[in-house]
Formats: sequence, C-alpha cells, structure tokens
Amino acid sequence: MSARDGVLARVRRAARHEVSHPGAFEPARMDSGWERFASTLHAVGGEPVGPVQSGDLSWALSELCADAGRVVMGPGVAQSLGPGPWEELPEGVSPQSLADVAVALLRGSIGVAENGAVALDGRHAPVRALPYLCERLILLLETSEIVPDMHQAIARMPPDATRFHHFYWISGPSKTADIEQTLVLGAHGPRSLAVVGIRDLQ
Amino acid sequence: MSELLDARAATLLPDGEPLRRHDAAVFDLRRRRDAAVAALPDFEALRTHAQAIKTHTLDYLDAYLERFESQAAAAGAVVHWAEDGAAHNDIVHGLLRERGVRRVVKSKSMLTEECGLNPYLEARDLEVVDTDLGERIVQLGQELPSHIVVPAVHRSRAEIGELFHVHMQTPSGESDPVRLTEYARRDLRPRFLAAEAGITGVNFAIAETGTIVVCTNEGNADLGMSLPPLHIASMGIEKVIPTLADLATFLRLLARSATGQPITAYTSLVTGPRAGGELHIVLVDNGRSRLLANSTHRSSLACIRCGACLNTCPVYRRAGGHAYGQAVAGPIGAVLAPALSSQAEGRRLPLASTLCGSCSAVCPVRIDLHGQLLAWRRTRAHAGAGERVLQRAAAVVLGRAALLRAAGALVRLCWPLLARRWPGNPLGVWLLGRQLPAHPGASFATRYRRLKGSKR
Repeated sequence: MSARDGVLARVRRAARHEVSHPGAFEPARMDSGWERFASTLHAVGGEPVGPVQSGDLSWALSELCADAGRVVMGPGVAQSLGPGPWEELPEGVSPQSLADVAVALLRGSIGVAENGAVALDGRHAPVRALPYLCERLILLLETSEIVPDMHQAIARMPPDATRFHHFYWISGPSKTADIEQTLVLGAHGPRSLAVVGIRDLQ
Repeated sequence: MSELLDARAATLLPDGEPLRRHDAAVFDLRRRRDAAVAALPDFEALRTHAQAIKTHTLDYLDAYLERFESQAAAAGAVVHWAEDGAAHNDIVHGLLRERGVRRVVKSKSMLTEECGLNPYLEARDLEVVDTDLGERIVQLGQELPSHIVVPAVHRSRAEIGELFHVHMQTPSGESDPVRLTEYARRDLRPRFLAAEAGITGVNFAIAETGTIVVCTNEGNADLGMSLPPLHIASMGIEKVIPTLADLATFLRLLARSATGQPITAYTSLVTGPRAGGELHIVLVDNGRSRLLANSTHRSSLACIRCGACLNTCPVYRRAGGHAYGQAVAGPIGAVLAPALSSQAEGRRLPLASTLCGSCSAVCPVRIDLHGQLLAWRRTRAHAGAGERVLQRAAAVVLGRAALLRAAGALVRLCWPLLARRWPGNPLGVWLLGRQLPAHPGASFATRYRRLKGSKR
C-alpha cells in the first residue's frame, strides 16, 4: 500500500462524518472608513498617505520616491501616472535582478480596516519576490475598496485570485521581535510600507 | 513522583535573571493578546466558530485531504504523502538530490522540527539556513526552539550578540537588537539570492482551492518561496481547512492570540508554483491519524500553533521550552507529545501541569487543554504497571487518616535529607534548579487544632 493510501485509509476509519459545517460567521458591525484603516495601519508600523485625488497622485508619489534610488512600478499603476523617477517592471526578468530595488510601487486592491492589511493580487506583482526584496514598499489603494473586516475582505477577492499562483495580504512593513521582544522594522523585507489612499482612481 | 524528576529538569531555565526575563517576555505576549481581544467585540464568538469549523473538518478529514490534493495538483503542485517524520525527510532529501540542490533556505516550520529535518539534511552535506531570526539564533546556538512563535525567547540580547560575533564576525559586545537584526539581514540576504530551494511550513491549506497559506512577520518565508526555483512546503495533515471563507476566521484569531497583532505582516496565499518554478507539498501523518482515531484526544489536532497557551502557562513561563524536550513546548506540547512523540519522556509531560486551566481559557480554537492533560494522566494511571502500583498505594494512604498522618510524619522526618543534594537523593536532579522550601514543622491538621485552640 502506498503512503497515500495508508494515511487516507486510517483517516477514513477515524473520521465519523457526523458534525456539519457551522456556516458563515456573522461579524459584529465595524467602521470601514479611511480614518479607521489609516489608524490601524499606523499601529502596525505602516504609513497612511492621503487620501489624494487621482489628479494629484503623480505629484504625491514623486514626493514619496524622491532621491530613493531604483524605483520600480508594477502593472496597473502606470496608466494613472505621468513620467517620474520610476521605471516599469520589465517583463520576464529574474527575481534576482530586482535585488537592488529601493522602492516598489504596486497597486493594492482591498484594504481591511480591522487589521490594516492591503491585498496584493499576483497580477499586480508578477514577480513574486518584488514586494519583499525592496527596501520600501508603496501600495496604492482606492478608499472605496476598504472593508471593515477580514470576512468581507476575503469575500471580495476575485473568484480567480487563487488561479494566479499568489495573492498577498500585507499589513505593515517587515518586522521582528525575536531579540528580547524589541520590535525592529525591516527584518528581511521592506523597512517601510506606505499605503497611498486614492479617492477617485479609475 | 520520581517519574517527574527526569534528566530534563537540568534544562530548566536557571533561577534569577534568565527566569525573570523569560517570564516577563512571554507574559507580555499574553497581555498584548488580552488587549487585542478586548478590542474585538466578537472574539469569543470567533473562537466558538473556529472550534466548530475544526471539529467539522476533522470529522471529514479524509474528504478534505483528497479535495486539497486534487485541487493543488490541478494548480500544478506535486503532492507527496509521508507516513512519518523519516519518510518526510526522505522525500524532501530526494527532491533536493534529484535537482542537485546544495543550498537551502528554510522558514519556520514546527513540523520540520518535529521530523528533525535539519540534522537529516545537514548529515547529507546540504547547507540548510534557517531564516526566521529567532530560528536562526537557535540554529547558530545548536539548540531546539524554546517557543513556537518566538523561538529564541530564552536568550538574552548579550548572548545573541555573542553568537553573532562567533558565527558572523559582528563586533564583539554588540547587543543592540536593531543593529543585531540588521547584521542578520545582511548575512541572510545573499543566502536568499543564492539558494536553490526554499522550504516552508504551512499555516493553513485550503481544500476548496488547493491553496497553501503562510503567515510571517519578517517576510522570510516569502523570499524563500519566491526566489529559488524549487519550493517545498511541509504540512501536517491536520492543517487543511474547507474553504477560503473559513480562512478569514482563523486569520482573525491567529495573530491576535499569538502576539496581539491584528494580523501578521504577511499572509501569503500560494496556489501552484510560480512561473518557471516547482511547488512540492508534503503531507505528513506522523501519528496524527492515530490521534484522530482517539475520541478523547482528537480535538488537540485543531491547534493552529499560536502559542497563547505557552504564554499564559505558569509552568512554561518558569521552566522554559527546553524543559519539555520536544519541538512543541507548553500545554499544547504536553498534550500532543504522548501521542506524537517517539520519546518515552514525552508521555510523562502531562504530569508536569498545575491543571489551572489558563491555557484552555485563551485557546483560540477552544481546545480543552487542561482537560486533555488530565485525560492523559488517567490513561497513564491505567496503563503502566509501576504507575498502577503507585496510584493504588496513594489511594490506600490517602484513604486512611492514620496512614496519612504517619506518612506525613515520615516525610517531615526525612525532610533535611531530601532538601540536600547528595548521591542517591531521589530528588537529586530536581534540586539542580530549585530548593525545597522549609517545612512548617507540623501537619496542617495539627496546626489547625492549635490555631483553633488559641482562638478560644
């Protein structure tokens, strides 16, 4: 008998097939405004920026990326911006070739007010490692896409999200407290995370 | 009694500063958890809901495992099955060998600790680098993690500075956590970039979609699974949950229970390999199906490894994780060890508990941890011949007042001998880390009578 069949046979004998699934959870009602999201994001070490009008976005991002070094912009960001201190993410590059990126500018999709997390759909970060290799991560987020809790956040994921290989929830910068519980930002990934709220981005 | 006093007592945290620091550090996590819980009105309802999902999932685990396997395979992952830790290690090593891999980066995985993967691979000339900072520290110190969430919580900043000085040539005497973390980051970054394979654990596996979910704060798992072409994810078979919607419930509970954060910095959902890469998922039994068949203890498989029960446990806080001698310490470690550990000493761990119930009160999936510990004691009392004799003797003594008085007098008589260390003292090892208190000179009953008499 293969290991698979052996394990499954024992599990089948032990499983009783009696207790049914409890169904959906009914969360308590909570606020989902930008202010609540921004204060949670701040508490987890992130920087809320804005919200800005889409017309001001290019200017706001230029400010954030000034003198930063190599700035790489992911898909879904470019059409809303003019020229600036950034380059578009080249297609088909190895993740190793992005090791020197100072700022990654990526399009976030869903914001979660209860935990400050922002969704990063794999389609907006085709090189999986980019949001972890950069020194600073900037995520764009339409304020209309903020939901109160994680249940609604996951319900909002596009139905094909799990077919694009990776989908990230990111809440604040990389952090560790492994040395005497002292919080240190930038353990491996980005040392800082800014989320730029946009009021009317299309 | 002597069952409790095995050689493990020698690995207790030393009295004084190390103990005080450890106690304060882990109880601080407990306090942060409490603050996060207080801020969420539906936390108790979430716990109940999570428990119900887990109870259901374990009851249909065969169906969910098969569903997960077929969905993960449809997304391009290769699914392997391992009966035990040895088979798991063999599968992982085979994958690495076939591809000529020499350098591996690893993120935290309690399962690979349980299987002893690192020493297995290192003995076969592979370079395995633990990348979670706490795991890296215990790897450099050549010891087991002492906590499932903060593996190096037993180490002081000065000790960590010294380890880094020896192994990474950092300046001697450096003990600033910010600078030490920066040194580790600089040491590990090139290792990530050069690695040919990344090994990660799995926090949740979603049957509906074949997705694995990995939660970290450092982002080390994400670098490990997105830079090298080969990603191996190891998971116990109990990690499966039914749907993506169910994930929300567990994500709301996990980090709040662990560190008081509303969610970990990174929650990564991975379905299939990245473009041009490979994803292999190893499903490990290692005693879990046997535990599932045990109706008294199967609920311990619901554990999501948050560490809340460790942080609140008066025994863990004072003893430290190494005293347990297992990959998983604390109350949940003591509950799982009799079923999952290959070592005989693991079966004795349920005896080392006060049964205060603090663990059960904080468990995010409502495992009745202290009830489980008590149940293991009962099993043990009925199983071993030595244990049976001891229990019967205790029943006889405790059942007859005269015998109990005589036994008490005998212990008081022998006290000065027991309290001193000398070869042959049955309390010998226990006394390495502790002292017996001075005894009160008379039995409780005697003192009670005296007190009553003096009041009249």
